[in-house]
Amino acid sequence: MRTGRMRVPPLVTGLLLLAAAPPAALPGQAGQISYEAFTLPNGLRVLYSEDHSTPIVSVDVWYNAGSRNERPSRSGFAHLFEHMMFEGSAHVKKGEHFQLISRAGGSENGSTAEDRTNYFETIPSNRLNLALWLEADRMRALAITDENFHNQRETVKEERRLRIDNQPYSAAFIDGMTWPFDSTGCFAYAHTVIGSMDDLNAAQLADVQAFFDTYYAPNNATLVVVGDFRPLELRRLVNQYFSEIPRHPDPAPVTCNAAVSPGTIRREVTDAHANLPAVVRIYRVPPHADPDTPPIELLNVILGQGESSRLNVAIVRRERAALGTQVAMNPFDSRRGPGVLLVLAIANQGLDPSRLDTLLAAQLDSIRTGSVTDEELTKAKNTFRANFIHNRETTLGKAEELHHYDMFHPSLAEINTDLERYLAVTAADVRRAATKYLDPANAVVIIVKPPAAGTAAEKGAQ
Amino acid sequence: MTTRTVVTVAAGLFLSAGTVLAQGVPTTPPRPTPLTPVRFPPFKQATLPNGLQLVVIEHHEQPVVSVSLAFRAGGIYDPAGREGLAELTAELLSKGTDGRSAEQIAALIEGVGGTLGASAGADFLTISADALSDQAGLVFELLGNVVLHSTFPESELELARTRALSALALQLSQPGAVAQRFFGTEIYGRNPYGRSPTRESYQAVTREDVAQFARQRLRPAGALLVVAGDVTEAQARELADKAFGSWRGSPQASPALPVPAAHTKTDILLVHRPGSAQANIVAGNTTILPTDPVYYPARVATQALGGGADARLFLILREQKSWTYGAYASLHRYRGLGYWQATAEVRTDVADSALRELLHQIDRMRTEAVPDSELVAAKGFLVGSFPLTIETPSQIAGQVANVKLLGLGDDYLRLYRERLSAVTALQARTAAARLYRRNALTIVVVGDGATLYDRLRAIAPVRLVDVDGKPLSPADLSPKAAPVALDPAQFAAHSDSSRVVIQGNPAGFTVSEVRRPVDSLVYAERSNLANGAFQQQTSLVLDPGDGSVRRVDQVTVQQGQKSETHLSYAAGRVKGSSAAPQPDGTVKRFDVDTALPPGTVDENAVPFVVPALPLTPGKSLTMSFFTPSENAVKVLTFKVGAPESVTVPAGSFQAYRIDVTGSRVPFTMYVSTDVPRRVLKTEFVGQPFVVELVK
Repeated sequence: MRTGRMRVPPLVTGLLLLAAAPPAALPGQAGQISYEAFTLPNGLRVLYSEDHSTPIVSVDVWYNAGSRNERPSRSGFAHLFEHMMFEGSAHVKKGEHFQLISRAGGSENGSTAEDRTNYFETIPSNRLNLALWLEADRMRALAITDENFHNQRETVKEERRLRIDNQPYSAAFIDGMTWPFDSTGCFAYAHTVIGSMDDLNAAQLADVQAFFDTYYAPNNATLVVVGDFRPLELRRLVNQYFSEIPRHPDPAPVTCNAAVSPGTIRREVTDAHANLPAVVRIYRVPPHADPDTPPIELLNVILGQGESSRLNVAIVRRERAALGTQVAMNPFDSRRGPGVLLVLAIANQGLDPSRLDTLLAAQLDSIRTGSVTDEELTKAKNTFRANFIHNRETTLGKAEELHHYDMFHPSLAEINTDLERYLAVTAADVRRAATKYLDPANAVVIIVKPPAAGTAAEKGAQ
Repeated sequence: MTTRTVVTVAAGLFLSAGTVLAQGVPTTPPRPTPLTPVRFPPFKQATLPNGLQLVVIEHHEQPVVSVSLAFRAGGIYDPAGREGLAELTAELLSKGTDGRSAEQIAALIEGVGGTLGASAGADFLTISADALSDQAGLVFELLGNVVLHSTFPESELELARTRALSALALQLSQPGAVAQRFFGTEIYGRNPYGRSPTRESYQAVTREDVAQFARQRLRPAGALLVVAGDVTEAQARELADKAFGSWRGSPQASPALPVPAAHTKTDILLVHRPGSAQANIVAGNTTILPTDPVYYPARVATQALGGGADARLFLILREQKSWTYGAYASLHRYRGLGYWQATAEVRTDVADSALRELLHQIDRMRTEAVPDSELVAAKGFLVGSFPLTIETPSQIAGQVANVKLLGLGDDYLRLYRERLSAVTALQARTAAARLYRRNALTIVVVGDGATLYDRLRAIAPVRLVDVDGKPLSPADLSPKAAPVALDPAQFAAHSDSSRVVIQGNPAGFTVSEVRRPVDSLVYAERSNLANGAFQQQTSLVLDPGDGSVRRVDQVTVQQGQKSETHLSYAAGRVKGSSAAPQPDGTVKRFDVDTALPPGTVDENAVPFVVPALPLTPGKSLTMSFFTPSENAVKVLTFKVGAPESVTVPAGSFQAYRIDVTGSRVPFTMYVSTDVPRRVLKTEFVGQPFVVELVK
């Protein structure tokens, strides 16, 4: 159980784990989520859904604050905050949040993405009151002290060393995700979630307090509860614990001006921890709510998901050019602004990465210039349909789904109808999306090279 | 629960008026409400006539089904020298059958949105598939097909091998994985639980090895088939009969495993990973068989020591000291002898402190009773978290399979929470004292040996190896210079004028020149600082073929005092005399007759040598230099950066940044990328002056 983690995309570390009938209508109410919603007078939005199959409950709070809300020279705050939120509040001592949840047998965590920060507990259902009380206490009065601030700043630096600086490919990947956007037009997505260590070093306690006051207010948060509870009891507890937390002025809106296809960006980076070269291609994609999202998501499956995906069949199996390939869209979470589609391939030993990039580019072009087959489209839809169900198997999974639809879709009701939108996508829709977004002028191409041969002795000499 | 009326009234008020009604927010954590009993979902078992065990867990909440089939065919059954065979066999199962190609199999299962995959752990090879329940028939048909009729095509083996080798390379670049490999070998010795595949073992595996392994070990008798999800028992039984009913056979009897390595003392294996930003520490030893009842108190003790963020190691190493991102302890069960380990990934500069603290906490668990608060915390987590592990059909299936495969007994799941709840502080201490063998502990540290060696030696005896396991001596940790071939294309005749700037103010000049008289090569340099207070003329005669120094003549005048150096280099020695003015006005003189390591160059040649080095961004070079003013040989390291734009009075250039260490004062040179390369700028670390090219 790691804490205060930043959700690092599983692309790099999970690469090795990767692994036609037409989509049928789902039986009965399969995958449907029934829910209720209410809002406290202080603006806290509450969604809940009952599920009594196991005596557990998930409590999941999303703050409408992520790295996109950060200002230039103040990057890394949203993620630093995620750490601060585990350091104690008015009635909870440093470390006690963990202790209380852990001793009840629960699990909890938080994660930071571009558009939101989340905090969640899954706990035996007789401790629902504990999880709600803990979330309320830190929403009301987080302990923002010099000591906590210093301690968590060091922890974040350590996290960066561990997860980015000391891991092959991570730096190219994490930094590369920001390169499609420029700081002037769209600072929101032109900097990393983990932020700049210089900015964090320069941060003052007052900056941290201001960030909390602005973004960690009930009117900027949504609470979701899913599991084994009685709705009346839930409403009583929520009212008791949360209703006195004062509302704050609404935060300023986030703007992002980013053009699709401004011209290819090419970079070459050396990765001291990589043993094999790699190619990363990153394409700008529209906001999640855009009608182009369903065809792009299906394109993502067709290109990169599973052994039968185009990239795996062509590049890993037939050409034997890559150890593995992977395609992912917005790996931290969906976005209300423009996002990224990432294509990663790690070269097999002895292969020149520019050759690998040529092969990748040819496959990506093949959909723009050719088409997708019926089998591919069917597979993509069936995969989406299976994921749609699997995402809803656990109480936490359902809670995250409720948040997702509440934040990224025009209407929460789409939680039970979205599948139909995906099943209606045609081959022409996919091709149109490929033509628009897989345009070479829309790509950031990163060649990752290991240091030149014989590095061990030379690194020892540094 | 206690005040039903209040609940209703409060809710009613809230709903009707929307008023802010609060009963006052409690200032201490609310008390638990009564515990809802956990009922482990019922499951049905049967043994098919061929000996295949079937477990069915009906779970109809979502229309999903998952099926897994486990054989006693894990990595411990790999023949010595063929480590990785079970893993390759698992991968090849779905890569071609007598009726389908690999691509057809993948397209079939993925076409319906399902997954099919196999993997081999130490004890078991497991193949599993899942899909929406309307595809249950396809799932069973495919599983039967790949398990009974796999053809293991040669071409697929080569693909799998290529992938395995690349994956191994990736794994070896990850320090945590490197630490685990060494730790396994250290604690198990020749026992197969400690082995890991290597390049050589992957390369040794043949198609016939795979086919034979599958024939001998993937047999129905004793295998375990677990079906979970939206299916009925009758349906599962019928599908299993159809897919596997006609299959026959038992796995080959396997020989007894060798006894793990005996350890008689605690020591440290330090794996030198040059430049590692972190040190990865693993400490532990082999433990018990899975059915040993000491498991329960040991589990509680290990939970209290390092089971998570509420445990000692994490609270001390991360929360209190900020030394690490995480520190954990865990108990691992195999069918055979298991192991326990404590792990921490720490900053290199605090690795010794972190290891000392870790060992201290292990000692405390063995010798002191766990305080009540920690015991309650550990047990609360283990007991309370159980229902969180049985939320989905595949989680339930995993729990049941674990019990069956490790032979934990039919009452294991039923009594699991009770048995943990009953553990006392005394039992936990006794279990820790038995399992954590403090005087025969294996400690593996992967990190930068140059920084860590001396610090760790103060804790326990250290054996030093490189990442391939090859023994190193402490002397190997210091940089070793080797002759470096210079690029003759850079020896072209040219002349450079540079200025010396102190804190932004011009303070002098230096003119250097490469001359090419017939069959010869000369580098000459003339400097004048502080209006003549320091003047120096140097002339080097070099070999026109390889740039090696043959002769040095230097005259220095400092504050009117003259000193001369005259040296010749031949047959691995430097001979002559050197003199250098000292800051106190004296002159230090040497009669020089010194043996040199191969490839040693006179230090005065640095501005000539650096542009002629094989400069590759990201690469470092080491060379030995003779310093006449100290009559000493030094090893200099040149770290080459990516080309960047540099502006000096002579203009703007693309230039390599070269950081030089090992000299008395470290310095940075910027060398233009165009041939012949020129030194554009030299900065001295911590010194106020800079040399910049003027023309």
